[in-house]
Amino acid sequence: MRCVSLIEVAQLRKVFRRADKKPGLAGSVRHLVERRFVDKVAVDDIDLRVEAGEAVAYVGPNGAGKSTTVKMLTGVLVPTSGTVHVEGRVPHKDRIANARRVGVVFGQRTQLWWDLPVRDSLELLRDMHGLSDADYRRNLERLDATLGLAELLPVTARKLSLGQRMRADLAAALVHTPPIVFLDEPTIGLDIAVKDRVRAFVRELVAEGTTVMLTTHDLGDIEDICRRLVIIDQGRIVYDGDIGTVVETYARERTMHFSVAEAPASLAGIAARLPDAAVAEGPSDAQLDVTFDPAVVSSARVLAAVQAEADVVDLRIDEPAIEDVVRRVYAGELGAGGMQ
Amino acid sequence: MASAQAVAAPGVLARVRRNAWLYRRCLGAHLRSTLEYEADFWIMSVSAVIAQGVGIVFLWAIFGSIPEINGWTFWDVAMIYALVVLSEGLSVLFAQGAWSMAFTVNLGGFDALLLRPFSPVLQVLSSEIGMNGLGNVALGGALLGVSVAHVDVAWTPATIALFVVLVVSAALVKVGLNTATNAAAFWIKTPWSMFAFSMHTFGELARFPITIYGIGVRLALSVVLPYAFMSYFPAQAVLSTGTAHWLGFLTPLVAVWCLVLGALVFRRGMLRYESAGN
Repeated sequence: MRCVSLIEVAQLRKVFRRADKKPGLAGSVRHLVERRFVDKVAVDDIDLRVEAGEAVAYVGPNGAGKSTTVKMLTGVLVPTSGTVHVEGRVPHKDRIANARRVGVVFGQRTQLWWDLPVRDSLELLRDMHGLSDADYRRNLERLDATLGLAELLPVTARKLSLGQRMRADLAAALVHTPPIVFLDEPTIGLDIAVKDRVRAFVRELVAEGTTVMLTTHDLGDIEDICRRLVIIDQGRIVYDGDIGTVVETYARERTMHFSVAEAPASLAGIAARLPDAAVAEGPSDAQLDVTFDPAVVSSARVLAAVQAEADVVDLRIDEPAIEDVVRRVYAGELGAGGMQ
Repeated sequence: MASAQAVAAPGVLARVRRNAWLYRRCLGAHLRSTLEYEADFWIMSVSAVIAQGVGIVFLWAIFGSIPEINGWTFWDVAMIYALVVLSEGLSVLFAQGAWSMAFTVNLGGFDALLLRPFSPVLQVLSSEIGMNGLGNVALGGALLGVSVAHVDVAWTPATIALFVVLVVSAALVKVGLNTATNAAAFWIKTPWSMFAFSMHTFGELARFPITIYGIGVRLALSVVLPYAFMSYFPAQAVLSTGTAHWLGFLTPLVAVWCLVLGALVFRRGMLRYESAGN
């Protein structure tokens, strides 16, 4: 038998049927008589393999099909066609066995019992997962250390603030120490302090060997945690590979910001010395920016060119960010199937 | 951190025991949180007594002008009533969660249930404890206490045991039907359980001897959605009256059928579940 990956997705597809109504009340009434539907393809034949211990960032614009994918991977949604295997199991068929091995956080919606104190929710989960008291207590202490859980335990879930709720939700999803964790926008709407806490926590999980699939809009989450990047757009995977490679290939340009003693009369002199770079005025008179591709023009040449024309006081370099790549995908520069 | 261990496939008995234990744990947790609101508890209980009591007053009024309906006296019908109120009370107390299905399913809260290692249908049923059920049970018990003195039944340990079995079965009939009708939420995309409620209201017809209705209604109440097995039929079995009182002894079987039906409809619905957003 061939070597099997931890998560195997083949030709996965999800189509939702939506009512095709004309706008307004008249449209709705008409729909009652003459029912018309349109198919919306949320996930369009994707293939994906994730090995044990990998940390994968799954990104894409709103409505790209990220959450739908995660919902199929966790057994919440039944695929229209194609296959999903997690540890060899089909999540939506072998739901209970799957739930014991997987932890899931949906940032948009809580999984705690709304009307119960956090402690009761966690204890119910303890019993559902069949954890021993000793294991449960040990895990809770661990979670308390990183998430500051103790203060939340007596609070009813509905009374938690967003940040508190996310911490409690993470604890609920991880109380059984699952080897596979899906995080769907775990930092959405959180302030910087809580965000950092959540990221540190996830980084720790990855370091321990937990397989993590992280869906997010926040690129800070990705750079901190993941090595592999999967970009989805309009239901198709448009990139799947190393984050560093993407940056080198698609976000090669960097910008040098110069502060000079005296503003040069014209930038033309510098521009003439650097035909392959873009020279522009900075935010103030005594500043200028040079944007260039290090593979074409070296940083040293840029510096030398500017120094020849002006008296450089200070300089700062902006490294390329993963954000730039994803922004280009969002903007449609890299169409579906254009990479890979 | 200890790793979560996949439990080896347990035997059927062990699985039933685990499910029953988890069901009780879920109900217990909700009982505690419900009891925090003492005023709610009293308001709900008193409302339940009023709601059911109105029916009894109506019955009293009807029998004030006619001595009997199809051979059934006031106290016979009061027996049916007591049975309905009792079994309804039990179903509300222990499986009120069925009525939350429309809300949970259509506002996307169902996702969470699918991610926990416990049967989704049992999670739904145990997600609420209907304290007004206590009001029902109290009223049903009182009504029963008064009516047994007036009906022609020899109360032996055997009839008492039979009665207990019938009441519990009748409650399970209602739980099964509630599950099946509320599972319509997977097809009807609104957060209100109007469909299930209209079926429940239809089932109220079985609070009277169903022989007073035409054949269509009788078939619907005893075969299609056998609400009559939580009231008329078991009452017949206890009273040994009517043309086919033996039918009431089938109540436990009908209960099993209704529970299976509920589970099947729920499972079919789950395959259609589309969550919310994407």
